[in-house]
Amino acid sequence: MAARAHGAIRRWAVVGLLVATLLVLPSLVGALPADVGDAPAAELRTAALASADVGFSGYAVSAGGLALPVSDRLTDVADLFSDRTLMRVWWRGPTEHRVDVVTAAGETDVHRDPAGTWTWDFEAGTATRGVPASLALPTAPDLLPSSLGRRLLSEAHDDELSRTGARRIAGREAQGLRLVPSDAASSVGRVDLWLDPASGLPLQVEVYAEGAEHAALDTRFLDLDLGDPPSRVLAFTPPAEARVLTAPDTDDLIAQAEQRAPLVALPSQLAGLTRRTLDGVPPAVGVYGRGITLLAVAPVPPRVAGGLDTTLRASPDAVVDAQGVRVAAGPLGLMLVERPGRTAYVLTGTVSLDALAEAARRLPGVPT
Amino acid sequence: MTSVVRTRGLVKRYGRLRAVDGIDLDVRAGDVYGFLGANGSGKTTTVRMLLGLVLPTSGEVELLGERMPRAARRVLPRVGALVEGPAAYGHLSGRANLALFDAAGPGGPRRTRRRRVEEVLEQVGLGGIDRRPVRAYSLGMRQRLGLAAALLRRPELLVLDEPTNGLDPQGITEIRELLLDLHRGGTTVFLSSHLLAEVEQLCTRVGVLDRGRLVLQDELATLTAPTGATVVHTPAADRVPAVLDGRVVAVDGSRVVVRGADPAEVNALLVGAGVPVTGLALQRPSLEEVVLAAAGSSLDRVEVHR
Amino acid sequence: MIAVELRKLFRRPRTWATIAVLNALPVLVAVLVRLTDLVPRPGEGPPFLSAVLTNGSLFPLAALAIVLPLFLPIAVAVVAGDSVAGEAQAGTLRYLLVRPAGRTLLLVAKLVAVVAFVLVTVLVVAAVGYVVGTTLFDAQPLTAATGGTSVSGTGLTQQELVGRTLTAIGYVVVSMLGVAAFGLFFSTLTDSPLAAALGALAVLVASSLLFTLDAASPIAPYLPTRYWLAFVDLFRDPILWRDVVRGLALQGVYVGVLLAAAWANFTTKDVTS
Repeated sequence: MAARAHGAIRRWAVVGLLVATLLVLPSLVGALPADVGDAPAAELRTAALASADVGFSGYAVSAGGLALPVSDRLTDVADLFSDRTLMRVWWRGPTEHRVDVVTAAGETDVHRDPAGTWTWDFEAGTATRGVPASLALPTAPDLLPSSLGRRLLSEAHDDELSRTGARRIAGREAQGLRLVPSDAASSVGRVDLWLDPASGLPLQVEVYAEGAEHAALDTRFLDLDLGDPPSRVLAFTPPAEARVLTAPDTDDLIAQAEQRAPLVALPSQLAGLTRRTLDGVPPAVGVYGRGITLLAVAPVPPRVAGGLDTTLRASPDAVVDAQGVRVAAGPLGLMLVERPGRTAYVLTGTVSLDALAEAARRLPGVPT
Repeated sequence: MTSVVRTRGLVKRYGRLRAVDGIDLDVRAGDVYGFLGANGSGKTTTVRMLLGLVLPTSGEVELLGERMPRAARRVLPRVGALVEGPAAYGHLSGRANLALFDAAGPGGPRRTRRRRVEEVLEQVGLGGIDRRPVRAYSLGMRQRLGLAAALLRRPELLVLDEPTNGLDPQGITEIRELLLDLHRGGTTVFLSSHLLAEVEQLCTRVGVLDRGRLVLQDELATLTAPTGATVVHTPAADRVPAVLDGRVVAVDGSRVVVRGADPAEVNALLVGAGVPVTGLALQRPSLEEVVLAAAGSSLDRVEVHR
Repeated sequence: MIAVELRKLFRRPRTWATIAVLNALPVLVAVLVRLTDLVPRPGEGPPFLSAVLTNGSLFPLAALAIVLPLFLPIAVAVVAGDSVAGEAQAGTLRYLLVRPAGRTLLLVAKLVAVVAFVLVTVLVVAAVGYVVGTTLFDAQPLTAATGGTSVSGTGLTQQELVGRTLTAIGYVVVSMLGVAAFGLFFSTLTDSPLAAALGALAVLVASSLLFTLDAASPIAPYLPTRYWLAFVDLFRDPILWRDVVRGLALQGVYVGVLLAAAWANFTTKDVTS
């Protein structure tokens, strides 16, 4: 088998070597060590909170495993927390940025300027002007690691924070910071954040439900360039053929809802969490807790409750008992307390199902 | 004389089967070499190894003095080949096919291409061919086209595998004349065939392949040289032994084989004794006899191996 | 040798029949959309198709998006699968090799011919798409000032639009290289062009299937079809290069590896056809 077999073996060996090199290369790059650094946790948190005005351009992906039991009218929000969302971002500051949610066949872009937002939907051909609202449904920009990271860290106490290792994210050495909420009611096991030590920008945020092995929400940068993006990228003028719409004013909507909402005096403490005020939240709604452990209680008219009840009961994980029906989606709990013919309560937040049940017992008019 | 084709210990194994089992071919410049063998005896595999299509398991091939397949790029432009029947692109005309094949490798200058194509078409008897696609050609026309492709480069060596396949008797004669013509012009021809008659009529040297082994290789003239006996045809065969006492080798009806390489002397003896002689010739073995003796059985027979 | 392969490919009636069939689908889609005015809901159906009603000059892109997932790769797989195995089956391979056409050179020439086929096919699809789009739908006047609108809602000059369309065509051609390389590699393994084409198609079907499977997400970035639709990214503003660059690199890797494998196999193979 002399000459020929040798030739064949040699040539296939060349091919094998090529394949092996190509296979090993990505893992070698991935295995590049990252410097853990010696900054204390509190310092990292301060740096992160101060990073809102750091300019950057980047590409981020958020992957959520939260199947929110919500109605059809909120599918956009539900998709945001259950799907992979790819975002391009150009950031100059909290009131000057642009975030494109990129899909295979189009994109939806939010251009933020100090006076409001332009939302461009390519496939629908619409450009929607909105005004800034103090309370709004979550949108894609809220899921950016930088924005989400700052929000989650904003009310954290130093004793809830600890340092974890380091890893490479978007080609940068990111330093780990772990947030374990101290409230017993919390359903969040921990939040792992990875920050760029130079700019303080959170590069990756992973939210784990209590006892969960996989992150309920994982958002991170794939590419990141520091430095203010050019303003022409942020600017937006609706193209000639677009339909120009005006977004409903959420403050107005809330005010209207407020008028219809049944007035109920809510207790000042529920499930060990203290009631607080939040900008834009109407007084009829009670918000309890601090940091990443929050509970919201809203009294709703019985006819609204009926629809929600059906939706919640359809969920396979729903717990139904005498008090009502409750569902957990990752760290997010939702409970409906119905009282025949009278005002019902919706309880939701990052608290455990037991905490929800305990809170429900304290609500006025609910039999214990 | 220089060797045009030479192999040393050429072996091709397919698994446990030795298709070609250590053959040493020797084809010299100016030969018309007849490579005889039954279908399945390893003929085609050998031809493919000569041309670098099949790579030998072991052994060496030298073509025009250079090692194959290493020197294929230098050697093959000087070789024309027809391997296991012709092949062409069915949707193109004969001319277009030849032009494509010529352009596919080195050694065929573009400016002489059109002229060379016309010349070889003329040579193989397709000079008047029209533009119809090869798909519409008869088997004989395809065979001629294949031959034309082999001749495009005016090769020093022609390797032909069953070149008269599919041709009518007239066509066979034409091709034979063409090959003899080329041979006179100095081309060495390596002709692989299972047709004894074809080889006997054309070749100057013969190699016989039997189950992968080269059992015979020699000049045709040597193989069929006079045996030193004379064949006498006489109506009175029974009287011959009396006249040529002890020299009769065999009697077969009116045909008597007599020892003695001088027919005139035998004739004189017989006529002197009053034995009528109707025919007289030196005895030569036929190629068939030689091949049968060497291969031991019919070329097409497949023996049960024990 | 390369010129010979190109002549062989383009003088073959089957090549042009394939290109004609490839054009039939987008034209049919255009006629149906025109007659019914029904475009896919945004986010469904081929990219750009929903935008065609307002701007017919985008139809070349919609046409590419229509043929890209299935028709084009099938055509490429058939042509590439035929490249060596077809010659083997017809018996012409041995005559090419004793001509002699070097085996490595023959492989390269075959790949170049397949690439040329993709290029011509894509250009024809785009050209036919443009003609069909501008005659059947309202075409925005393509002046220097208003070339068109990008996916991001910003204006593109005509120059930009033409430049990006050409880049997209180039990207689609490169995207097909992986399929071509698979076809070519399988083509050196077998003497049956059908088997080689089916082999390449099997790879594509497997890749498309795995791409939709969450469990396969760790290998998703390495699937040959992963970045095919990234040509849409060229029409975002600013252009999103990330997937385009990755797509080019991935196709390069596939071509490199498969061509090396084809070479290792073909140059040490006994040609017995």
